[in-house]
Amino acid sequence: MKRETRLIVISPLSEITPDQITRAVYAMGHEVTVKETCYGALLEGPPETVKEVMDDLKKMDPLGIYSKIRGFPLGDPNRCRAQHGSRPGFSQLQREWQDLALVEKGLQCALRGEEAEEDDDRAPMPVKELQRICEEVE
Amino acid sequence: MIKIAQLSCGTEYSGVQYEIEKASRSVGAKMVHPDVETSEIDRCIREFGFKPVSAQLKLMIARAVHLAEGRYDADAVFIASCFRCAEGALVRNELRRYIQEHTDLPVVTYSFTERMKANQLLTRMEALVTIVSRKELLARERQIGITAGIDSGSTTTKSLVMADNKIVGMSWTPSGEVLESAESTLNDALEQAGLKMSDLEAIGTTGYGRYTVGKKMDAKLVQEELTTNSKGAVWLAGRQQGEATILDIGGMDNKAITVRDGIPDNFTMGGICAGASGRFLEIVSRRLKVEVTELGALADDGDWRAINMNSYCSVFGIQDLVTSLAEGHTRADVAAAACHSVAEQIYEQQLQEIDVRDPVIQVGGTSLISGMVTAVGDILGKEPIVPPRSQYIGSVGGALLSSGFLEG
Amino acid sequence: MKIFIDPPNSLILFDLVERFGHEPLSVMATIQERVDNLEIDMPPMNVTLDDVKKGLDYAGIEVPSGIRGRLAVWGPLIDNAEAAIIMEDAPYSFGCVGCHRTNLLVEFLVRKRGIPTLEINYPHEEGEARNMVIKVKEFLEGLQ
Repeated sequence: MKRETRLIVISPLSEITPDQITRAVYAMGHEVTVKETCYGALLEGPPETVKEVMDDLKKMDPLGIYSKIRGFPLGDPNRCRAQHGSRPGFSQLQREWQDLALVEKGLQCALRGEEAEEDDDRAPMPVKELQRICEEVE
Repeated sequence: MIKIAQLSCGTEYSGVQYEIEKASRSVGAKMVHPDVETSEIDRCIREFGFKPVSAQLKLMIARAVHLAEGRYDADAVFIASCFRCAEGALVRNELRRYIQEHTDLPVVTYSFTERMKANQLLTRMEALVTIVSRKELLARERQIGITAGIDSGSTTTKSLVMADNKIVGMSWTPSGEVLESAESTLNDALEQAGLKMSDLEAIGTTGYGRYTVGKKMDAKLVQEELTTNSKGAVWLAGRQQGEATILDIGGMDNKAITVRDGIPDNFTMGGICAGASGRFLEIVSRRLKVEVTELGALADDGDWRAINMNSYCSVFGIQDLVTSLAEGHTRADVAAAACHSVAEQIYEQQLQEIDVRDPVIQVGGTSLISGMVTAVGDILGKEPIVPPRSQYIGSVGGALLSSGFLEG
Repeated sequence: MKIFIDPPNSLILFDLVERFGHEPLSVMATIQERVDNLEIDMPPMNVTLDDVKKGLDYAGIEVPSGIRGRLAVWGPLIDNAEAAIIMEDAPYSFGCVGCHRTNLLVEFLVRKRGIPTLEINYPHEEGEARNMVIKVKEFLEGLQ
């Protein structure tokens, strides 16, 4: 049977807790496995069921709950932190988790229909200008 | 269980991570990845001072800094990156130095390709585990009591007897039947020393036949040649402290080992190409109708630049040499070109994978061929040290290390 | 549509692409198939010597094995993509995406395909994040 494993990550701005996620999944009564983690939860089951569960979970806090597929199954000893220490992907997840706060704010603007501002493409300072400043500093 | 901290980039996508873990398990160790908080990475990079672009190399540095700060517990360090990656090679070498300066942990480095040689990896892991579990033994710098070392090599067998930190007898023979060669050379060495078998307080064996010989002679130490030869080389050269590179070019294979305080931390092994071994010189000697032992002196009188060699190969390279003779070049020039060719091939195959540290100690059978030593010196731009009895490194190491079992 | 994301393991891009109704082509999904392939026993990634050789389709033999191995796994994703989002200067590119040379080649291969591609910068503050998310939303909604 094909499996899908998902990382569920809660934005630092959200008030949802990992415990609430796991309880909500249990309450749905689907044939999936869920495991609480420090950043959210791990979810595993047949792809269609996982999608269904994810859609329902996101309703709890649409801009606060994020997810991506995880290559390794739950408890895979090759990726288990207790076995070997943290893998490189963990540092990445930690960083992306922090920045979900920014993404959440961005999503709020996007969903309000706001438009993007022009990029601030700053050209390097002309050499003459830099020379003038150097001379001033001297 | 010995914990080996892995600092690496590219192993999982080169298909070699599995081999690394398999090798570590087979020597009773386990690979671990030091935990690092993401928020700590930038600080560690500043602390270390090298700012790579690739994030995985940044993580390697942060992990090394955590080891140095004692924030993660490991017994040894394995540093690896992809062969041909310049950024990886720079970080790998600098991290090796950093770990050695800031910790007492033994470290080996490795630059791998997808065709990683499992036996070389295993020897590295075995050496790491030996260094961890036999640290006190390897720190030994003086031989005590009466002990013998037997180096049961693939080409020659060498036995040597030591008493109170002095060599008192030695003998070698071309390797025939493993036990017979070991026994006859040991008896010769004992006779020279005026001693009997029963006088020996300990025996150490190394080389390909170390297990067979070690079992028969009830050896106290049976040790791979990497650590044993290193100890023997630095003892013979009087360079037990500090860094050195040991270049061991034998009849069939060659090794380049870097050591710190006599303990190896990186090495490469040849064995693919006869053009990088004493075998090439044997073939040339036969063509020149001189004994291989006389080739060196002949080469010293010649100029390798006079000969045009387009190949290091023991078929095509030799053909070039033969053609040169036919064209009227001197035998001395040909001998010099042969030595230069072997030295250059070793440089290209072996030495480029390690960072050569001064001094270079040249040992092994070919170090007795003076032309080879000159050629290596020419190519490296520095004169190698050839210690006396440089072909006996394995047996000296065996005698020295086995004497460590005589105390407590 | 099938959208290649770069970095190919980004949580942020994966979630945004799904959120706006497309299918992200990610390295995790490919790894998932490999890890579950019981016929191969080369953990953790099940990247084999043959894979590294297949990487020659994307980079020459003089290129380090880690780059060719990565390309063997991600290259087909780029080949199958109908559109792509490239996020430059992601500060967190550890692990799978830890090799900067690979990342440069991946971006190049995406651009070479000539599929609709959005190139954005990793945001450092709210204003940039706002711009980034709005651009991603507009790009994904505009794809037919």
